Amino acid sequence: MTAVKDATDDYFRHKSDDQVNNRQSEVLIDGKETNLKVRHALSVTSELGADISRLAKFDGIVVCEAPNNKLDKFTGVLSWKDSKHSLNNEKIILRGCVLRNTGWCFGMVVFAGPDTKLMQNSGKTKFKRTSIDRLMNTLVLWIFGFLVCLGIILAIGNSIWENQVGDKFRAFIFWKEGEKNSVFSGFLTFWSYIIILNTVVPISLYVSVEVIRLGHSYFINWDRKMYYSLKATPAEARTTTLNEELGQINYVFSDKTGTLTQNIMTFKRCSINGRIYGEVHDDLGQKTDITKKKEPVDFSVNPQADRTLEFFDQRLMESIKLGDPKVHEFLRLLALCHTVMSEENSAGQLVYQVQSPDEGALVTAARNFGFIFKSRTPETITIEELGTLVTYQLLAFLDFNNIRKRMSVIVRNPEGQIKLYCKGADTILFEKLHPSNENLLTLTSDHLSEFAGEGLRTLAIAYRDLDDKYFKEWHKMLEDANATTDERDERVAGLYEEIERDLMLLGATAVEDKLQEGVIETVTNLSLANIKIWVLTGDKQETAINIGYACNMLTDDMSDVFIIAGNTVAEVREEVRKAKENLFGQNRTFSNGHVVFEKKEQLEMNSVVQETVTGDYALVINGHSLAHALESDIKNDLLELACMCKTVVCCRVTPLQKAQVVELVKNHRNAVTLAIGDGANDVSMIKSAHIGVGISGQEGLQAVLASDYSFAQFRYLQRLLLVHGRWSYFRMCKFLCYFFYKNFAFTLVHFWFGFFCGFSAQTVYDQWFITLFNIVYTSLPVLAMGIFDQDVNDQNSMDYPQLYEPGQLNLLFNKRRFLICMAHGIYTSLALFFIPFGTFYNMAGEDGQHIADYQSFAVIIATSLVIVVSVQIALDTSYWTVINHVFIWGSIATYFSILFTMHSNGIFGIFPNQFPFVGNARHSLTQKCIWLVILLTTVASAMPVVAFRFLRVALFPTLSDQIRQWQKAQKKARPLRRRRPQTRRSSSRRSGYAFAHQEGYGELITSGKNMRAKNPPPTSGLEKTLYNSTSWIENLCKKTTDTVSSFSQDKTVKL
Amino acid sequence: MKTTPQGCQSRLPDNTALKQQQLPAYRLQLSATGVLSGFFATGVFCLGVGIILILSAKSIKEIEINYTKICANCAKLRENAVNFDKECTCSIPFHIPETMQGNVYMYYKLYGFYQNLYGYILSRSNSQLLGTDVKDVGSCAPFRESHNGTPIAPCGAIANSIFNDTIILSYNLNSSIHIKVPMLRSGITWWTDKYVKFRNPSSNNLSSAFAGTTKPPYWPKPVYELDEEDPGNNGFINDDFIVWMRTAAFPTFKKLYRRLSRTQCFIEGLPAVTRFRGEKSVVLSTLTWSGGRSLFLGLAYTVTGAVTWLATFSMMAAHLMLKERKMFFSQQ
Repeated sequence: MTAVKDATDDYFRHKSDDQVNNRQSEVLIDGKETNLKVRHALSVTSELGADISRLAKFDGIVVCEAPNNKLDKFTGVLSWKDSKHSLNNEKIILRGCVLRNTGWCFGMVVFAGPDTKLMQNSGKTKFKRTSIDRLMNTLVLWIFGFLVCLGIILAIGNSIWENQVGDKFRAFIFWKEGEKNSVFSGFLTFWSYIIILNTVVPISLYVSVEVIRLGHSYFINWDRKMYYSLKATPAEARTTTLNEELGQINYVFSDKTGTLTQNIMTFKRCSINGRIYGEVHDDLGQKTDITKKKEPVDFSVNPQADRTLEFFDQRLMESIKLGDPKVHEFLRLLALCHTVMSEENSAGQLVYQVQSPDEGALVTAARNFGFIFKSRTPETITIEELGTLVTYQLLAFLDFNNIRKRMSVIVRNPEGQIKLYCKGADTILFEKLHPSNENLLTLTSDHLSEFAGEGLRTLAIAYRDLDDKYFKEWHKMLEDANATTDERDERVAGLYEEIERDLMLLGATAVEDKLQEGVIETVTNLSLANIKIWVLTGDKQETAINIGYACNMLTDDMSDVFIIAGNTVAEVREEVRKAKENLFGQNRTFSNGHVVFEKKEQLEMNSVVQETVTGDYALVINGHSLAHALESDIKNDLLELACMCKTVVCCRVTPLQKAQVVELVKNHRNAVTLAIGDGANDVSMIKSAHIGVGISGQEGLQAVLASDYSFAQFRYLQRLLLVHGRWSYFRMCKFLCYFFYKNFAFTLVHFWFGFFCGFSAQTVYDQWFITLFNIVYTSLPVLAMGIFDQDVNDQNSMDYPQLYEPGQLNLLFNKRRFLICMAHGIYTSLALFFIPFGTFYNMAGEDGQHIADYQSFAVIIATSLVIVVSVQIALDTSYWTVINHVFIWGSIATYFSILFTMHSNGIFGIFPNQFPFVGNARHSLTQKCIWLVILLTTVASAMPVVAFRFLRVALFPTLSDQIRQWQKAQKKARPLRRRRPQTRRSSSRRSGYAFAHQEGYGELITSGKNMRAKNPPPTSGLEKTLYNSTSWIENLCKKTTDTVSSFSQDKTVKL
Repeated sequence: MKTTPQGCQSRLPDNTALKQQQLPAYRLQLSATGVLSGFFATGVFCLGVGIILILSAKSIKEIEINYTKICANCAKLRENAVNFDKECTCSIPFHIPETMQGNVYMYYKLYGFYQNLYGYILSRSNSQLLGTDVKDVGSCAPFRESHNGTPIAPCGAIANSIFNDTIILSYNLNSSIHIKVPMLRSGITWWTDKYVKFRNPSSNNLSSAFAGTTKPPYWPKPVYELDEEDPGNNGFINDDFIVWMRTAAFPTFKKLYRRLSRTQCFIEGLPAVTRFRGEKSVVLSTLTWSGGRSLFLGLAYTVTGAVTWLATFSMMAAHLMLKERKMFFSQQ
């Protein structure tokens, strides 16, 4: 049955795979997270052009590296026409890329199928099983061992009995005396008892567990609170075998872009000349919740406006209309100083090709306010200023890099004035300002702090009027510097420094990297549930940290944030060591030198250490250091450090590294991990975690297809874990406890009976009862409990995240619990057997007849058993729905009706040998003393359970117990919803120039290489176009490739 | 991917209580008052029932006469299977100290006779006993057929080992006058056994109905000669036979032999008790509302009641302690 279910699962997976295959084109266009990457063909091959016949004759040989997963590297050599041409990463297109800015390209397939870099990065699909599954298998083995022990005991008993008693008794059973010897008889008895007692090994358990999980999966699919109406996406449980593990998660590994954030940058606020725009106060003076109350600025007068942008401050528009020169200059700067390229789509609308969404947001904001960036050539930038087309001459482009943290353009306006426009990180820019800006600087600085406090990404904006003569001199020096070969970079940098000074501050911008809805609340709640959230992102360190602050994972209250960004193994080791020292040093003020050894021991026992660490710590590590750490002996140290931190942020990591981090925690921490992501680069992580969750609907479906659960919004994770996961775990544990209990109670009666029937493998119950007990009489109530039970309702599960902890600590079902269930079952079987035994041993019935005949005894015990286990399930069920009532009462009714049917005259008349219990039920169940026995058995079995539970709740109440009591009291009083915890973030942290910027675009723009020739000269034809237009949007590897390719340039700086 | 409004509608999960897990339900909660009063009531009930049961059991008069040793010579004679049809009589005088009021039941009681062995219980043929096919001996191994291949009726180990001592109760008025106490054979079997489960093969003549079968090896006479005087007690529907065929669950058991109105003498028959090293006795007993004499149930009820009360008090103590603690917490 399990196989059938898995097959159905697979079938549905296959179906959704098919779905994807059929609409691939749609999906690729849908990709939002895009980065332009420039790729050139080899000049020798690009000469072939589109001439098919020449292409067909192409007979080069490519010798290249073996298939690997490095997205940023490729080495190979093309041998063609007796010459060799080297191939590198710039010359190849990876699987999953989309062509942009070019009509066509011809290529040669180097790697296909599983050899492609994408597939090499995807990791292996593993068969996932839950820890309960593994525990269950162990327990079944235990039970099997127990069964064998019972068999051996009974076999020995049989040998002794045969020897002592049976010998004398044989004449009544066998023709001849001494036909068998007692040892052989014991051997046979062993196997007979293995068969009889095999019901203690719960075979039907596996089927029932699958049914329950299926039910839970359907509840996830049906949950309206996890349905995202904007994208019409319900949550989906794509596997039906992992549900209860959702209630045991210790670590959540989350992707950033598309998961925590929407990857939508919106221009939110700005400060122009000391005045804040974009701030809206409602009647109470609160800045939140503005979206509903205020009318956004109406951009309809501007036909070129981007409709998606909403800005809530009319005053900016008014200032523009009034012609405030500073405001105009501010917007002009936004329209001029960037690396965006424009295109017109078929509808005649401007479309911006951006390499970083932040810039897009700024340029779009300028566009909406009437400063529309129209087009650029290598030498000019054309913008439309409030309706008039103005073309600026682009004189110089001072590109961004990680050290400068700013970029500038120098332009000459139609009036002939030369201006330098600069935008960059406030910390850097403020040092370059003209002294006259002091007042404005203080004001703007305050504004910036305010923006940063709201989690916005800020940039300072400044300009400088340049003297014609001064510029010419400078320009000449720049040209000279560029021409030199030695120390070129340093000289250029020096010249940039030289001109970017005495700037006049214009103001600052604040762009929101829009978090997904409810992210802060979800993160807070999950941390309260003691779930550690690690962010694994391909983004830059600054961006990652910024988001960490934005969603409250990093806070100012934290004792320390460790940043590991070493470039060599030694550096990384040193940094890890220092961080650890720091961590323990602060907590070990009491200890002296002599505890060094103890310390070491304690380090090995992580749990102890975790308790000793007070205060919140966070760890930020970049991919480069991670690579070193993962490949060396620092691995364990790093893991220890990371596990003690409240938050861990790994930035600039490759898809495979994401998976490696997950594996590291999974293998060394004995913890349950969950990975959540939305893109193809999260697939390997999703596959390697215990549970993979895909965010659906954002970009592509690769993550969803690899995932075990999928939904549309990160915030649903909270409900998935705290409600569905918790319930699933709770129900599954209760179910298992009861199931094991029931089987022991049911089966061990045979064992006790063995001592009174000469160990002859006689069963206590009749065969029909044994067959039907697990399937018909007791299966449905426990299934109903396993599917519907709730201890606290969903609202309280969400409001009290601490309720999640028993699952993480594995408290509700473990080996100890199993032994308790087993003991409970054994006790019940003792009561079931010995109370009737003691009573009927020497008793006559009401009519004076013999009452303890074998058949009556079987019926009495069977009836007691059914009643006792029903009472037990009634006690276990804490949420009595109609279904539970029907199943529990129905099971008892079914038992009695089947009993009376099988013991009826009619059925005996038809099958006398199959139903020999004729008249038994009628005769036995009309006697008072039999009912007294059943009643006493029930009381004796149930009372201790009730007493223990009552005492446990009274003496050691769990949180769940308290909430249940409270819940009940609430119900009696009036329904009052607890106020949800306020999760305003408070951070005074100033964000740096945290753009997903990449160096080199300035050069690209000024060289004009990737500008599409608007009207290509007829002579140049295709060849030229091909040569010029080789820029791509790399859909797939976006952030990751970005990350990796700029490792070398990026010296991560501690902010 | 744009989805049509209809598409949105269809993907939105239904808002039913079942699917949203909002089914109205009673939340089972062990409240202090409920549990404590429940326990208290259960304790009262158990103690009450226990005391009543003990008192009624005490009111039962029971006499057991063990005749294993006294009739040992008969048993010895029978040990040799050749002597199975020889009669052997032994009589045991005994005295009833108190008057036994009401109906008195006479049982034979066997100690250590395993009627519950796996092979033993199986060794019978219900379809043969139902009279449909007297030659159906399929499940009767090892007593299916005699040495010459004739099917045995009634076949099987249970039937073969029937208790066939004849017990006669006489009242000794004086040393020479013995008055036979009238004994009722009726009402010692279940109605369903007598009229449904055991039927004689339909035939005018019982012995011809059993033609082609042979008697069980340990039996002195064939089944159709069990009670030649009363056709309603002959063959498979013989009451003693039916009682024996209802196998006991425990190795020590007493089976109803006769119901009677009032004192002594035995004629020894089968089974040879020394073979199974058990003992045999005759039990005379009266009855009460709950059946025969057994103190166990009464004691068990009393003990359960007492333990329940004990638990009630300790739980109450814990509860009161907790209340104080709760107040302590709320003060903080």
